[in-house]
Amino acid sequence: MFPIDFAYARARSLDEALDLLDEAAEAGQEAKLIAGGQSLLPMMKLRLAVPEVVIDIADLDELKRTGWTGSSHTIGALTTYRQLARQRYASRDGTPALVNGSAGLADEVPALGDALAVLADPQVRARGTVGGAVAHGDPAADLPAVLLALDAEVVIAARPGRHEHKPAPFDHIPRRPGPEPTVDRQTMLLDDFLQGIYATDLAEDEIITHVRFRKAGAGGSAYEKFPHPASHLPLAGVAVVVTFKSGPLTDADGRVTSLDDGSIAHAAIAVTGISPRPYRARAAEAVLKDAFPTADTLAAAAAQVARTPDGAELSLLGDQLASAPYRAHLAEVLTRRALSRAITRAGAASPIGGKP
Amino acid sequence: MPAARDVSVQLTVNGATRAATVPARTLLVHFLRDHLRLTGTHVGCDTTQCGACTVALDGVAVKSCTVLAAQADGHEVTTIEGLTSQPGTGQDASQDIGQDGGCGRLHAVQQAFQDEHALQCGYCTPGMVMAVRQLLADHPSPTEDEVRHALDGNICRCTGYHNIVAAALSAAKREG
Repeated sequence: MFPIDFAYARARSLDEALDLLDEAAEAGQEAKLIAGGQSLLPMMKLRLAVPEVVIDIADLDELKRTGWTGSSHTIGALTTYRQLARQRYASRDGTPALVNGSAGLADEVPALGDALAVLADPQVRARGTVGGAVAHGDPAADLPAVLLALDAEVVIAARPGRHEHKPAPFDHIPRRPGPEPTVDRQTMLLDDFLQGIYATDLAEDEIITHVRFRKAGAGGSAYEKFPHPASHLPLAGVAVVVTFKSGPLTDADGRVTSLDDGSIAHAAIAVTGISPRPYRARAAEAVLKDAFPTADTLAAAAAQVARTPDGAELSLLGDQLASAPYRAHLAEVLTRRALSRAITRAGAASPIGGKP
Repeated sequence: MPAARDVSVQLTVNGATRAATVPARTLLVHFLRDHLRLTGTHVGCDTTQCGACTVALDGVAVKSCTVLAAQADGHEVTTIEGLTSQPGTGQDASQDIGQDGGCGRLHAVQQAFQDEHALQCGYCTPGMVMAVRQLLADHPSPTEDEVRHALDGNICRCTGYHNIVAAALSAAKREG
């Protein structure tokens, strides 16, 4: 089993990749970018995708650059799941280093580590990329759920003036001209980027270069999934990032109050596998805002996971593998599990400990 | 470089440079089997699930049915054939003739599969061996749980997992 004939080119620069996309469009040919190819090639073999031109972007060094600032992480689109799971912080001399007390990203954001351990299988994780996971728009992808719970942003490169994306609310990296003045970069929220089943806001002549998210505050995170045993895709998957109130509040009279009372400042809950696109369960999140994390509260929040903030039921996917009500049930159970795991982890990580 | 339906690829396979011009749609597994006649790498499911086609690409286990030969251009591939040391290379010379009958010495993982009888029909074996090699490269002393988790991407239709897991644990002991 192999794909139908196509033309292949390996781009040596972002500029060349954008040129190749334009050339294909001018010739009226459907083009697809390939990086790891772990989603695209299976679809091409099944002839569900039949691109006439395949442009390999695996050599674009800019898309491999991963790093962090004081407030955020930037992950190169070509970073593989395996690389992300094994990434370790290092000092300038190459010795292991701790950043915010963590040895690496999967350690700092446990929900990422959870997802990267259960996503597909080891061989697929060695090839599949972060950019591909986002660009594919799969309704049952693991990683986008975690990124969504982290309020991640997608950095998109294109020729200037072609497309206007809804800008991310906090574009916290100062915008500098890139190495090529003919390439424009825009940053948008992943939540605005994902649109539906295999549908995203990425235009035919655009390339995802990076995914970014801010460092989490005091708290914990977790990802729980119920995988289909053959495909390993989540029949339902839930990522949560829980932030507790912390730090001193100083009022105008100089009185200092500790905010650290064990209540939740904010909980982000993202669900995948049960609807046309991974989504943020804002109704469930609202239940947890300012709440103390008791078992009853977590259960009350989880019960809202398949509802919109105005209480309506979300339209869910059902198929031969699992009905929509069954997937909704899984999502509720997984939300409870992910919340308690994240909260337990937050307690373990807290310097004062003792959080329930 | 404009896009082309035929692509020239040059890769290092089991230490030797191999070059060919192939249709762009050629999958790495077909390149290995049909062009290079390295038929130790098997095609099982064709859909990235069974792992029979597992090879090491730049030292890391991947499924060669889900990599284009063109993507592997300029890279290094090790197949199951490349795990066995070749006789007469000076490597393990004392072992060349004897238990292996002069055909080269089995890799520790291959030897463990033989010792533990970790195969029934043998179809999944090359992929299993390549996946276990990766596991031991990453985690030299895995637990049984870790072995089973690391073989998530490999299916044995004979369901002979018990001895496969035993072989992985035995190879870990041997190498450790």
